[in-house]
Order: sequence, then structure tokens, then C-alpha cells
Amino acid sequence: MKNQISRRSSLLRMGAAFLGLVTLSAARAAKAAVQTVFVSTSAPKGYDPTRHKWLMCIDDNKCIGCGLCAEACKKENGVPEGPYYRTWIERYIIPKPKPGSDQTRGEAIVDSPNGGMHGFPEPTLPKDQIEHAFFVPKLCNLCENPPCVQVCPVGATFRAPDGAVLIDPKYCIGCAFCVQACPYGSRFLNPVTHTAEKCTLCYHRITRGLKPACVEICPAEARIFGDLKNLPADDPLQKFYEKNRVQVLKPHLGTEPRVLYAGLDKEVR
Amino acid sequence: MRRFRLPPQILRLVLVALAIVGSYLVARSFLVPPSFGKYGWYRGDSLTLIASRDPVFAGKKACDECHSDILHNLAVDAHKTLSCEGCHGVCQEHCNNPDILPDKTTGSHCIRCHEANLARPAWLKQIVVKDHYGPKCTECHLPHQPTKTP
Repeated sequence: MKNQISRRSSLLRMGAAFLGLVTLSAARAAKAAVQTVFVSTSAPKGYDPTRHKWLMCIDDNKCIGCGLCAEACKKENGVPEGPYYRTWIERYIIPKPKPGSDQTRGEAIVDSPNGGMHGFPEPTLPKDQIEHAFFVPKLCNLCENPPCVQVCPVGATFRAPDGAVLIDPKYCIGCAFCVQACPYGSRFLNPVTHTAEKCTLCYHRITRGLKPACVEICPAEARIFGDLKNLPADDPLQKFYEKNRVQVLKPHLGTEPRVLYAGLDKEVR
Repeated sequence: MRRFRLPPQILRLVLVALAIVGSYLVARSFLVPPSFGKYGWYRGDSLTLIASRDPVFAGKKACDECHSDILHNLAVDAHKTLSCEGCHGVCQEHCNNPDILPDKTTGSHCIRCHEANLARPAWLKQIVVKDHYGPKCTECHLPHQPTKTP
């Protein structure tokens, strides 16, 4: 008879099925072991990035150039010593036009010694030749269309649903394409970890309900930070919106920044 | 009628193709992190990884829990916009254990903001330090209530 199952073949089949089950469970265990490499713990619970939309505004009329924000950012985020800044202050000095020229103003001189952390020295230009001088705080512009995200070859940098542009430190290979791509110069390679780094909006603070360190420390309230999806009527962001006409940096690039500036000069880029 | 049989060379090619696709799928299921695609084309868990850092600055609200009297004085005068930790230094440890004083080395002094600088806005009160009276600011000015004198 053809269809009869012999004892030998049925035993073999049962053995094969058992071996298959064992290998399957071993594969599952191995998969879990591989994936624990990617999974992290000890983060604040209950933060849903889809329920927030962060926005940073800067009232440039209020910046006094004390450099507390740049210093606080370094301390808060453990940024290494040296010329590495997630946020910094620039000083713009606009000289008077040369006598006899048909220009309204001279060419702007921009400096940012130590990111403005330890104050600014006296300008090299004599006082009577300066028409206008002011400070501009800079940080990641939180673009809606971030060029840095487009160029990343490993998909390590991305735009979170809450508007923050972040870097996955475990995926970043430190190729620095994003550093070159950022039109605002907001990124750098961390000399310790050799991965790209940038302003995270103090992600570890905002997920715990705190303000970013630079906003917290600013003595002049030049930085205004808020959540567009949970905006009370008396929120400073709301007042800022009502009072000011705002603009963004380098609008012609189409990056659609979410850092809005009020009171900027045309020289600021 | 003769039964159709796949030529053996084609059968081998199909098997090789299946093996390649199969090994790709196995490798993919192992290597793609579980949270990939949760919010977009990236690892959703990286958000929690980035958020797992401990805050350094405690924030003004934390100071208000014990020093509400000082903060009340501060709130009615010109320095109302100042953050405590800007001048007094990082206070996170001090919040957890009041015996540890705030880290004064990370604090700053009046001159940091009030030294005259051409680029500072006109609304900010500024002094030229070497022309200004006195070596110590607090002899004449109360830091928490700058419009009052001690």
C-alpha cells in the first residue's frame, strides 16, 4: 500500500517538527538579543511626540548678549569644551558708509568669540564709525524641510512629529554630510563621540515639562518657547505673536524654519 | 498528454532566487529595530534615548517650592525676568539635598549683563565699570530688588 505511514517515517517527521520548533524559538531568542542593542530605557514616561508641536521664537530687541544661553546649553547637554556650540550669540556691527559713497551703510562685521559665552570684547572699529550694533542668538532653525535630514546616508537624523530635528546617536556614522548641508551652521561633529550633534530643544527637558536650558536661563526673555498644540491664551508665545512681526532666517532656501525672529536686521543671515 | 515539467535549470534558478529573498527577509527581521517606523522612517526608540538624559538646571519652579518669599520680591521689580540659576549657578543638587549649596562657580555677576557694550540695547541699564562708583555692587544695589537700596 502506497499511503501507509511506516513507524520509521512518522518518528522522523515528529523529530523534524520538534527540531523546527527548537530552532524557531532559538531564532526568536536571538532576534530579541540582537534588538536589545537598539532599545533603550530610563526615559520619561508618558510623553507622546504626536501631541506636541514646539516652536521657538526670538525677540532680538531683547537680547543683551550676556552669553548665558550658550553657556547653559553647554552645561545642560554636556557639549565638549572648545568651539562646539548648539546655540551661540553673534554680534553684528554695521559701520557707517564711507564718506562720499552712495551707500546707506557699510559692510557688516560679524563676530562670535567663544560663541559669546564669555562676553564680547570692544569692537575693533572706533565708536564714531559704527552706525549700529546688535546681538543675534542662533540655534537650530527646526526646519520643516531640513536639508540635513535629506543628506544623511544612514537615516540617523530625522524630524520628530513634535517638530524637533534629532539625531539617533546609535545610528550616526559621523560622516558630517549634515554638518555641510545645514545652511545655518547649527551642526558639528562631537570630538568625543565622533557623531554629529545639534540643538535637540533640550529634548530631555521638554519631555519632562521643563523649558529648554537657554530659555530657562535667558535673563531678558529674548527666547520664547511654547507648544502650539497646547497653547493657553496667556502663553508668552501668544503674546509674542500678537505684538511682533516675525521673520525667519534665509527664507529663500525654502527650509521653512520653525524658529521665528522679531526685530531682525536685513544683514542677519 | 505529457505532464508539463519545469526544466531543471529553471527550477534551480527559482530555488536560488527564493533562497536569496528568504535570507534577506530573515536578516531584515533580525536587523530592523522593533520601533522602526513608529513615527516615520527612523527608530522610534531613539526619541526616548535622546530624552533619557538627566536635566542639569532645576528651573525657577523648583526654586519657588522653598524660596517663594525671595521670588515674590523678585517678581515685583526690574529683575523679574531673571532666572535664579543664571546668577546663583546650577541648583539641581541643591534641590535634592538643601545642604549642598548651589554650584557658585557656574553662577555669574552683575557685570556680565550690565557692563556697557555698544551692541547692547538701549533699554538695558549699563555702566562703565572703571568709571562707576564702588568695588562692590551689593553695597548700593539689592540684586533681587534692583530699584531699591539696602
